[in-house]
Amino acid sequence: MKNRQNQNRDMLQKGVVFAIIIIFIMAIGFHEIAASLTSRIFNVDVRRGSIAEVRFMMVFFGLYAFLTGWSNSGEEGSPAKKILHGLIVSVIAGLIVVLFDLILLFLTRNEIDIRAYLTAFSIESMNYFLFNKNQFGLLYHFGFFTVFGFAGCALKVLLNSASAQNIKERISNFFKNTLNKINGAMPPFLPKYGKYILLLLVIAAAIILPRTWGSYINFVVGLVGLYVIAGIGLNIIVGLSGQLVLGYAAFFAMGAYSVALLNAPEPHNIMLGFWPSIIIAIFMAILAGLLLGIPLMGLRGDYLAIVTLGFGEIIRILLKSDLLVDLTGGPRGINDIHGPTLFGRPFSSDIDFVYIIFACIALTIFVYNRLQNSRTGRAWLSIKEDAIAAQATGVNLRRYKLLALCIGAAFAGLVGGISAARNQFTGPNDHSLLVSMNVLSLVIVGGVNSIPGIILGAFALKGLPEILREVQTYRQLAFGILLIVMMIMRPKGLWPASRPEYEQYEDSNASVKNPRREKK
Amino acid sequence: MTTEEKSSPIKQRDLGKIIRPIFGALVAAFVLWRLYIVFIIEAKYGPQVWVSLLISGLIIGAVYSLIAIGYTLVYGILLMINFAHGELMMVGTFAGYFILEAAQAIKTPTAANPDLVFANAYPVLTIFLAFMVGMVVAAAVGYFLEKIAYRPLRGAPRLIPLISAIGASYVLQNISLLLFSPQLRNYDNPDALSRGDGWKLIINELPVNIPYTGVFTLVLSVVLMLVLLYIVKNTRLGKSMRAVAMDKNTAALMGINVNQTISNTFIISGLLAGAAGVMWGLHNAQVYNTVGFIPGIKAFTAAVFGGIGNIGGAMIGGMVIGMIESIGPTALGISYQLKDVIAFAILISVLIFKPSGILGEVLAEEKV
Repeated sequence: MKNRQNQNRDMLQKGVVFAIIIIFIMAIGFHEIAASLTSRIFNVDVRRGSIAEVRFMMVFFGLYAFLTGWSNSGEEGSPAKKILHGLIVSVIAGLIVVLFDLILLFLTRNEIDIRAYLTAFSIESMNYFLFNKNQFGLLYHFGFFTVFGFAGCALKVLLNSASAQNIKERISNFFKNTLNKINGAMPPFLPKYGKYILLLLVIAAAIILPRTWGSYINFVVGLVGLYVIAGIGLNIIVGLSGQLVLGYAAFFAMGAYSVALLNAPEPHNIMLGFWPSIIIAIFMAILAGLLLGIPLMGLRGDYLAIVTLGFGEIIRILLKSDLLVDLTGGPRGINDIHGPTLFGRPFSSDIDFVYIIFACIALTIFVYNRLQNSRTGRAWLSIKEDAIAAQATGVNLRRYKLLALCIGAAFAGLVGGISAARNQFTGPNDHSLLVSMNVLSLVIVGGVNSIPGIILGAFALKGLPEILREVQTYRQLAFGILLIVMMIMRPKGLWPASRPEYEQYEDSNASVKNPRREKK
Repeated sequence: MTTEEKSSPIKQRDLGKIIRPIFGALVAAFVLWRLYIVFIIEAKYGPQVWVSLLISGLIIGAVYSLIAIGYTLVYGILLMINFAHGELMMVGTFAGYFILEAAQAIKTPTAANPDLVFANAYPVLTIFLAFMVGMVVAAAVGYFLEKIAYRPLRGAPRLIPLISAIGASYVLQNISLLLFSPQLRNYDNPDALSRGDGWKLIINELPVNIPYTGVFTLVLSVVLMLVLLYIVKNTRLGKSMRAVAMDKNTAALMGINVNQTISNTFIISGLLAGAAGVMWGLHNAQVYNTVGFIPGIKAFTAAVFGGIGNIGGAMIGGMVIGMIESIGPTALGISYQLKDVIAFAILISVLIFKPSGILGEVLAEEKV
């Protein structure tokens, strides 16, 4: 009896959650974007500034209702019971959305515009949410939840049944067998030299491809590349030595302003040239790392995080204030930064910068790999796993932590310098907290200590939003949600490191854990 | 870092021991030099300037104290920095704003004054409602925040909940950005508590304004802090919170529902943050989606300053940070734009020189 009550409560809860997500999507105006994204899948172009046809939103909500049913079919009992469970959840969600629709209907009928308070609730947008059908819109919503929810849970129950499992197994066995056959038929030298051949192919692609891409793709690739370097640099601090640094953009600022001040005509007119100034940029970033690190390296993780955050903000506020206006250009930033030259000719088109960035990525990965497999890398790992034990075995904590911070800062200086020259501009807002957070989240989302993961993360967080222009507004929200979800679902990232991690749960209180986590 | 140190690891801290005094001497010299210039050489400010700065510092400090208590409570129980705590304050500010807007929109005409609105007819009720709704909404957000973003991560390595908290902070900021648009909004206070009005205090024949909103903020926050102290010291709820903060396992063995207690802690810290948010709105007027970020960081500074995990420390720390921030730029003769720099500099200095805070627990060092 009690079990049944629990089940009922569970169904109600899930229905409410799925309904709230729909209401939330409407409240932030995402339903219009979702419709135009769906229309893109069907290869229908939507002009800038206009909304997609209403049928695409129907497809979107249909898919959502399908998902509702799919993820809520019951776990035990007969198939009919499982399907019923999913259906009830969908219907509850549908009913709540209908209640919300009634409010919208009231607002649209009386032409009450509450945009001053809730921006997304314009009359057009509310009408669009009701499928431009007025009161029949409610029936549409309810109908979608019922029909597609039923389809979703029925399909899932069907696929999980015994006969379907059997078929699945056969198919996967077939694929495995064919793969084995292909592997057996390969020439024997391929596995041995495959690594070098792959390397050659990658180098060739890196040289040829930028020439064939358009300038927009080159711009995006350059941006992603810069974030890859920054991610690997931050990973040395966060991933290898286990210290959380939230003010990483401060080191960018050091590098960017070094290059900018030495290469721009405006505040000082020094014009040193790009190559020497990038070296100076790296050293300035290392210097900042030393200055910050020496007094603070004894602090525990979360304190260090907040202090570095404060440091980053101090740098940004100082750059923005009137205090340094003569030295650094103040809030306007520095314009007209001259790019690099190579053998006497300018080397600063988008393609050239892509080459520079690729070279720097290669250098970064090389340095990272050498460091990771060295004595230093092992010392960092031991500090990360257990600082006291590391100290007891003779690892100098302060020195190694400081080293990690300085090397990470050096890469940040490099990125800052290159991006200042690439954008021909740098200003205080290029080095805000947001940039630090972006780099940190791409490392964590991609996978700490895993280079493919970081590249994937950089592409997912910086490249995708550039390509999917529509979702720009929602990018930061997605960031936040992604961070939480990744921490709960996959704390090791999208592409976890292959090196085994000996993760330890902390102190005696650790046994009072969430049961969900213990199950894993 | 010479070769001698390798053989004797005990000397590892030597570098810090040299650097810290040098750094401290530099900071002290800078502060003394600026104070000397402002007070003795220029001496252009009379006492009324300092008194008015002190008053505004106390008011803003009261708000910081309320937020700092939330940080301290959560830190005491979970040993984690609730990075999204400033956002709870933002949520409270918005909730209070909408209540005031509604009260200004509802007409309650009387014979004497046909344009009378609800906010001016019943100012006490309006303010009370704004506080209630602000506090309850912020508490609800805090409750769900813990449930969704932190509870699944309990027992995970320390940095993981911190990153989740950063994510939560982003989510809350951006939800409010998308819902309410980035425009700046102004609190529409009832006439009885309009901004800028206040008692006039005459010092050296020059008036110093003591705003009503400020006095209200100060008194209310002191009352809330006293209530909180009473709850923590004397009630079952407070006792269970203290027990869980000491040792979760033993508390669970004694029949305390640990999860419920942690939820209660988040609810209490949310209530205080919501109240702080409405106060912020009543006194400083502006509401926008990142309104909670800077006060949040400063309140964290205050909590660290007072010794994190220590409620009395958070109260005193908040007041001190508020006053330093208010008086600092003028006393040091630097631009007012740099007042945030002063707060961050205090944070860094406290962590370098006295990580345990003025009243505090020794938690900032490497070992717990």
